[in-house]
Amino acid sequence: MRAIDRLRHLWRALFRTARVERDLDDELSNWMDELEERHRRAGLPPAEARRRAIAEIGSRDIMKERVRDHRPGRAFSGLRHDLRLSWRALRRAPGFTSVVVLTLALGIGAATAIFSVVNAILIAPLPYRDAARLVFIWADMSDSGYPRAPLSGPELNDLRQRGTLFDGFGAIWSTTASLSGDGDPEQLRIGLVTTNFFPVLGVTAAIGRTFTEEDDVAQGPPGILLSWSVFQQRYGGDPSLVGKRVVVNGNPTTVIGVMPADFRLWLPMDSSVPDKLQAWTPLRSAGLPRSPRGQQYLRAVGRMKPGVTVSEARQQVTSIAAAISREFTEYGSAGRVLTTIGLQEDGVREVRPSLLALFGGVAILSLIACVNVANLLVARSAARRRQTALCAALGANTGRLLRQCLADGLILSGLGAAAGLGAGYLGLKTLLALRPAGLDRIATAQMDVVVILFTCGAALACGILFSLGPLFEVTRMDLLQSLQRDDRRAGGGGRYRVRAALVVVQIALGVVLLVGAGLFVRSFLAIMRVDPGFSAERALTFRIAVPLQRYRGRPAVDDFSRRLQAALAAMPGVTGVGAISHLPFDDLPNWGGGYLARPDADPAQTPNADYRAVSPGLLEALGVRVVEGQLFTEADDANAQPVIVVDDLLARRAWPGASAIGKQIRVDPGSQGSPTTMATVVGVVRHLRVRSLVADLTEQVFFPVRQALRNPLAYVVRTSGDPAALAPAVRRALAGIDPLIPIYDVRPLDDYTREARASGRFTAMLVACFAGAATLLSCVGVYGVIAYGVARRRPEFGVRLAMGARASQVVALVVREGAVLAAIGLTAGTIAAVGASRLVRHQLYGVTATDVVAYLAAIVILGAAAVLAAWIPARRAAAVSPLDALRAE
Amino acid sequence: MKDKDDKKSAEMLKGTLDLLILRTLELRPLHGIAIADRIKQVTAGTFEVGPGSLFPALHRLEQGGWIRGAWGASDRGRRAKFYTLTSAGRKQLAAERKQWSRIVAAVGQVLDSA
Repeated sequence: MRAIDRLRHLWRALFRTARVERDLDDELSNWMDELEERHRRAGLPPAEARRRAIAEIGSRDIMKERVRDHRPGRAFSGLRHDLRLSWRALRRAPGFTSVVVLTLALGIGAATAIFSVVNAILIAPLPYRDAARLVFIWADMSDSGYPRAPLSGPELNDLRQRGTLFDGFGAIWSTTASLSGDGDPEQLRIGLVTTNFFPVLGVTAAIGRTFTEEDDVAQGPPGILLSWSVFQQRYGGDPSLVGKRVVVNGNPTTVIGVMPADFRLWLPMDSSVPDKLQAWTPLRSAGLPRSPRGQQYLRAVGRMKPGVTVSEARQQVTSIAAAISREFTEYGSAGRVLTTIGLQEDGVREVRPSLLALFGGVAILSLIACVNVANLLVARSAARRRQTALCAALGANTGRLLRQCLADGLILSGLGAAAGLGAGYLGLKTLLALRPAGLDRIATAQMDVVVILFTCGAALACGILFSLGPLFEVTRMDLLQSLQRDDRRAGGGGRYRVRAALVVVQIALGVVLLVGAGLFVRSFLAIMRVDPGFSAERALTFRIAVPLQRYRGRPAVDDFSRRLQAALAAMPGVTGVGAISHLPFDDLPNWGGGYLARPDADPAQTPNADYRAVSPGLLEALGVRVVEGQLFTEADDANAQPVIVVDDLLARRAWPGASAIGKQIRVDPGSQGSPTTMATVVGVVRHLRVRSLVADLTEQVFFPVRQALRNPLAYVVRTSGDPAALAPAVRRALAGIDPLIPIYDVRPLDDYTREARASGRFTAMLVACFAGAATLLSCVGVYGVIAYGVARRRPEFGVRLAMGARASQVVALVVREGAVLAAIGLTAGTIAAVGASRLVRHQLYGVTATDVVAYLAAIVILGAAAVLAAWIPARRAAAVSPLDALRAE
Repeated sequence: MKDKDDKKSAEMLKGTLDLLILRTLELRPLHGIAIADRIKQVTAGTFEVGPGSLFPALHRLEQGGWIRGAWGASDRGRRAKFYTLTSAGRKQLAAERKQWSRIVAAVGQVLDSA
């Protein structure tokens, strides 16, 4: 047949159905009349002629159906018909339909939301050109407690000169600068970048340009590149700003460009480069080799040449490190070790395990959901066995019956997918709203095409998967047997066992999720109880930078600082005031350096400590605990002997068993690269957990800020009342001393600690949601199986009740059945959970992977839920009227 | 026993019904019942094609593009659908005819062989 004919037929079959059908009816009537007339002419009476004609044609519907079977597009219109039938049937069972759809929505929704996140973080490349070619270079100083330290200027220079496999190395470090000249002065977080930093990343400016090689060698003052937010908020988005001058740190500076609105620096968390930098100024290459090799401040990103693999690049960087270790004596016997890691891989290093754990949780949940739906559908098809048998007897062939099952599956999975997309959207919104700082990249997560395809694929897979159960029922059905025998009395034991096994698996998976939730919740609670060594409550913090152009010389700066501190202390309700270089859980680059506690110590083995500069009163305002000695006073200024306060960690390590007070120690407050300043220890305080709540990371050294000037400084104002209410008074106090100094980062201190706990809270909450969903689904599963059993055994219960069984005995009989399933599932689940929790033991804090409380809670919750789920159908069984049940025989 | 015989003849018919219809329509267009009459007449009553088989078969052949149906008037002036052999149908008939001869020859050889 010619293609055109075929199309014509298809067209008529699909879109001219009414006409084709009318034609068919006409023709059949015509045949009937013709036959009838022949019989009449053969001498039969009219009634008999008519009867014969009808008998010869047979069932008009069957005849038409057989003709329709040959039409093109039959599969389409047939499916349409089947879908309509299924839809009607499902609407007649709203309870069943809504349970199935909600189950699917839960499974698909969770999968969609989590997949969006995984996609955004682990799969989608960083938003830079050829992001796979970008690597991050760390200095590995594990021996000193810094496995991931920045590089020094000369080291970046070495990499640039010797790294033949690279197109270039760019570097950044962050600082702050004041922006003034128009409007209120404002303190900005600034990225100091090598001029090739943006070309190496492969990003360009939205307006104007980024830095170029001319900027690197130019003599004049450098330009400034602004972020989109500063450009919008401070300058109203006026593009003519580019090329004009603004005042940065008191110097007129040309704005050379504005970065795009969506530009973010996705560097690893612990690189301490804030991702919300507000402006960038160039760091010129000429200065790089001049700083000491021990002065490490550069976060270096390399762009590999096309075709170079990360391991090749790593090899080259490692050999460069080995070469410079030999060439430069500064490194001592330890030498310099450099590690090279893909930028994207490094960025997700911390969150990858939790994301994969989450994904595992979602997989389990989806599995439970699918099992549930399959279970419900099998139960339904078993209940409709007689109906199906009737259909078959009336002429439906196996293909039709299979299609009907598939239609059920498709409608349910379609509804489930739609509901799941909705649930996933809401879930993703919630995830985004609650995301911890470490998962910042999920801000870019969205329901994109990949995600929607994923959902539809998952739904389709589910649809086909759970069509299989009922299909199996239908295909092996023996028509006659089903019609003749009362199925409700038939054994069906094999099928019951399969479904019971599914429920056991479901409960076991539920236990795994619940135990996981218990462990994460308990470890979150443990983190909440951690004593960080300072008190974060009722304290307001803010930051200011003293404009050094106007406050020339240390006495002027010190004087300003003293006056401000006095003004703050004089405010009503204030119980303590101080200034510090870094707040706890600050996003500023960490400041640290070596220390030598003995004159004879090997300089190559210098241990490292976190350095902090504090004003008198700060440690008291933070509420630290003094172990021995005293804290700083106003007497500890530039004219006095250098003094320090150390934490108990350092004291124990440096002078085990002895008092630290009065000991001499060499430190490096000027970041010269080696500890050369001799200082006297005047006090020892309890270690402050300011970078990690769960571990004592490194020793700590506190300098008096008058002896180790840092700018800007963060002020801590402790009050007896609400810290946020203090903000206006603080602004007034500052304005009373110097109205031109910008105040920024005005936040309560516990904002910082809350952020530090956010990750744990997030994980605990997510896992708890999973566990809740799993519990719910397991209940549905148990309910489904028990309710099915009860429906089948109605006559039996009727007999029992008629014979005098009490309702409570029947209830007990049914509940026991559920309890047995639950007990098996709980046992299997507990064993599985012991194995699975080992996988997350490194993410736990304060609890072991075999925490009895978590296991007991999981078993009790799921056990109770399962018994409850069995109790509902059990009551129905007890309510069976003996007469009704027996009549049904 | 009669039932069984009927079944046998129906089965035999199944493979050859298309061929019989096409051949019948080769001579001239006919309406449905006239086709059944003609087959019965030509085969001297050996093949009696009931409406239950003929009706779907006609529609199947029409879907295949071998015959085409059009409304017309029967010899007694009654409205009826007449089926005409198309050129594709002619080709199909030739092919089936050939196939049939081969089967007959082959079966004959088997039956005639000692």
